[in-house]
Amino acid sequence: MIAAFFGSIPAMVLLTGILVGASAALLGSFLVLRGNAMLTDAISHSIVFGIITVWLITGQISGPVQVLGAALTGVLTVVLTELLARSKLVKMDAAIGLVFPALFAIGVILISIHARNVHIDVDTVLLGEIGFVWLHTMTVFGVRVPVAVATLGVVLAVNLAFVLVLWKELKLATFDPGLAAALGFLPGVLHYAILTLTSVTAVAAFDAVGAILFIAFVIVPPATAYLLTRRLWLMVALAVALSVAACVTGYMLAMRWNVSIGGMMASMTGVWFALALLFAPGRGLVAQALRARADQLDHDCRALVAHIYTHQDTPSMAEENTLRALVEHLRWPEPRARAAILRAHDRDLIERRAGLLALRPKGAAEAMAIFGQAAQGPLSGRDRTAAPSLDASHPL
Amino acid sequence: MRDDTLHEPGQALHVEDLTVTYGTKPALWDIDLDIPPGVMCAIVGPNGSGKSTLLKAALGLVRPVAGHVRFLGRPVGKMRGRIGYVPQRHSVDWDFPTTARDVVAMGLYRQIGWFRRPGADARARAMAALGEVGMQDYADRQISQLSGGQQQRVFIARALVQDAQILILDEPMAGVDAATEAIIIALLKRLRDEGRTVIVVHHDLTTVQSYFDWLVMLNVRIIAQGPVRKVYTPENLRAAYGRQLAMIAVPAEGNGL
Amino acid sequence: MNALIDLISSGIVQTVLIGAALLGAISGMLGAFAVLRRQSLLGDALSHAALPGVCLGFLVAGGRDLGSVLAGAFATGALAALIMMLIVRRTTLKTDAALGIVLSVFFAVGIVLLTVIQTRGGAGSLGLMTFLFGQAAAILRADLWIMGGIGLAALVLVLAFWKEFKLVSFDADYARAQGFPVTLLEAGLTVMVALAIVVGLQLVGVVLMVALLIAPAAAARQWTNTLGTMVMLSAAIGATSGAAGALISATTRGLATGPVVVLIVTGAVLVSITVAPGRGLLWQALAARRARARISDGRVLTTLHSLAEAHDDAGYPAEQGMLQTALGAMPPAAQINALERRGLIRPVTHPPETTPHWELTEAGHAEAAAISGAPDRTQSPDGSQQEGKQ
Repeated sequence: MIAAFFGSIPAMVLLTGILVGASAALLGSFLVLRGNAMLTDAISHSIVFGIITVWLITGQISGPVQVLGAALTGVLTVVLTELLARSKLVKMDAAIGLVFPALFAIGVILISIHARNVHIDVDTVLLGEIGFVWLHTMTVFGVRVPVAVATLGVVLAVNLAFVLVLWKELKLATFDPGLAAALGFLPGVLHYAILTLTSVTAVAAFDAVGAILFIAFVIVPPATAYLLTRRLWLMVALAVALSVAACVTGYMLAMRWNVSIGGMMASMTGVWFALALLFAPGRGLVAQALRARADQLDHDCRALVAHIYTHQDTPSMAEENTLRALVEHLRWPEPRARAAILRAHDRDLIERRAGLLALRPKGAAEAMAIFGQAAQGPLSGRDRTAAPSLDASHPL
Repeated sequence: MRDDTLHEPGQALHVEDLTVTYGTKPALWDIDLDIPPGVMCAIVGPNGSGKSTLLKAALGLVRPVAGHVRFLGRPVGKMRGRIGYVPQRHSVDWDFPTTARDVVAMGLYRQIGWFRRPGADARARAMAALGEVGMQDYADRQISQLSGGQQQRVFIARALVQDAQILILDEPMAGVDAATEAIIIALLKRLRDEGRTVIVVHHDLTTVQSYFDWLVMLNVRIIAQGPVRKVYTPENLRAAYGRQLAMIAVPAEGNGL
Repeated sequence: MNALIDLISSGIVQTVLIGAALLGAISGMLGAFAVLRRQSLLGDALSHAALPGVCLGFLVAGGRDLGSVLAGAFATGALAALIMMLIVRRTTLKTDAALGIVLSVFFAVGIVLLTVIQTRGGAGSLGLMTFLFGQAAAILRADLWIMGGIGLAALVLVLAFWKEFKLVSFDADYARAQGFPVTLLEAGLTVMVALAIVVGLQLVGVVLMVALLIAPAAAARQWTNTLGTMVMLSAAIGATSGAAGALISATTRGLATGPVVVLIVTGAVLVSITVAPGRGLLWQALAARRARARISDGRVLTTLHSLAEAHDDAGYPAEQGMLQTALGAMPPAAQINALERRGLIRPVTHPPETTPHWELTEAGHAEAAAISGAPDRTQSPDGSQQEGKQ
């Protein structure tokens, strides 16, 4: 039964994708929160340099030595970038955009020169070969399992352990690196640790989805989760779930339309993001649009209350507390002014008194709330150049 | 009232019913303000009281929810050439390839107009403005090679080169050493004596009485405005700053009226 | 040598060289503004986002037609930029996350379209690969007209609005206060950067385009403090790197143009950062050395002497860092050793601090006082040295 599962090609392809997605999303949640998205993108490109260099030196295309090479490449990328930026001769964003293309270029050239000898070629670099992961298998506990699945399984376990064990350190270092440093949590070391793990995951995922598609799983599902919740544990869980969902749906669509599986899985992360962007409750664009209309009216209402409050019982009241004043002095078009007056009236904030707009008790209370401590009575600023005697019991 | 009619031309800056909000948070509520011409005016208030917002709304950089603004009777769009603005210093890229003289010349770009280049005349005027702030020897230095106080003086020169009638400065003395502060204040007073209006968002209450002759106290709404002698009182300070007053130089009660 | 001359006089190679130089110049010129406005990574996102557009151009035109490809690339690039701005404005996600999302998702869609074209087969798919890593050899004579036209248009715009672009890149707030249409100008600049990217794709491909956009400008910045010179130099560096890279890749089998050009232009950056006068690392090191050499013995002694006076302690142990701050640089070890040998200073320890400290000897104090011409206040009237607080 288990052997059948691991022998089924579609199941293995799908499983590989899911493992990639989950491992990436676990780390990506913290990377996105820390603002390291583009740095991660840089690392996933320069991984190519690492892979080909390790292969040239050791002849190995996978295994622990490649993992080491990945870790070193990731660190190298970050170190070079930060060195360049620290020279102050080049800004940080330019430094990122200089280091990784150079490393990537070296990698591609090396591949081109040795193209005949290795199954890595330019296509693989970009697309990966997730459809062929079942070609290389190994035996684990007596079952034949694709190497990629085994490797990614280990990587997922390591990432999960890292995130769970160092949960509170990661949380603190992400939101308050200063405090983390003061408490001895070594946020700098954590920074490099998480980037190293990302590099390792990138290499493990390389065979499956290629260098650049990997990035989609690291950044997009966590960003999607961020639109849906602010609780960290929920965000991470959602990120993993969305990543897995993208892989499953992506696989099904790729099979149906006969297109790149990796590409489709990565594209689906974008589809989930778009859905969340539009429809997230409270934060989505649709919710924002609906709220804006209601907000504008409430806003104008409060501005109206503030205006009446400021000018009531002053010499200019007769002129100010009228509809005409709203149009001329506040520069509101007449329909908008009328709408505000109507709304304030409906909410029992104002009334007409002797032909002028005046505050009802509820409106006066709202004015007090607006001006808070600074409320010193309804005198406008203009009349306060003489030293006032404050009468805290001035009736409103 | 249409935009092209003169409205309160006797005031250098006339603000009426100005309300500005960021999202739902209010920054300024119903501001009524009049600053007469030829004064050196300080705008003070605690952090978050909306001082910078007031300047930005007056200059049209931020859109108000309500109210209007006039400079010498005219809307800001028609007065741009006559208003010299010195924004807060931090918004600039100091590594930008430009020299002190270049920066000052930027103050003339508007006058030069579209499609034309700054010529020898513009460069000469830029040098003259640098001279007024005492920075002529640094004309060809790249701006990151200048100290904080020197950078501030260059930006003031940029506003000066326009020969502006009204100067608006946002915290010009922030982060500047005492010697530079003295130079800046002397310069501003000289400009005021020439008949220009100088409006400054100022962060240091201890120097208000010695530097300025007109004062506006702000905390989301106008607390008080008028000649410094009349406005700088314990009651007004308390109203503006509330509990923070313990750390501020309060004039002894019963004097200064 | 003859082979090289034969090569260059070949019409095809000339086309390639002219095209590559043109593309390099355009990217260099407009890249200067991208770098100064911190849009380097936006450039990266736009170039990856161009891939689906390139594929669409292929699908619509049925093959490699530069016009369709450029139009498609520009369209998806523009869409990506708009979505990125939407994300930044309407959610709390930050710029780098928005860039990463747009970059990876658009690129993924591009990969999907790529496989669609590949499965259909035909000559079209081969031409498509040239846009991934660049292939200058694919530039046709007819293409030169399009590229030349775009280059000319960009040059005209940059010249016409030079001072406005300069002001808006340097201080957008001030520009707004002066009444300039800042949003329009900024949008114009961004559109031109997008154009440079779209055009440069043929040379270096979607993945490496960011380097062609920003490296010439980063290199040029090291050599000048004037914007005009920087832009011209950047265009020149871009053109040279482009042409050289194209030549090398055209004459080597199986080598795409992109990586070669990127390595050349990155090399230019490294060289510039190191040797540029006034800014480069080498120059900085030499200036520091000169500063150290200018520290005379006298200055070292008088500095130590005033520190001792200020602390009322003839045996005051001056810490290395304090000395460095007071003198502007640390005196070379040889100089310190010489002063030690002359018996004027001696090294001391000052626990619990672990950095090197020095104090003046009696002779040292006397010499310092002689140099500065003031009486030696570290000597008390009966001739013994004063002890200060410990």
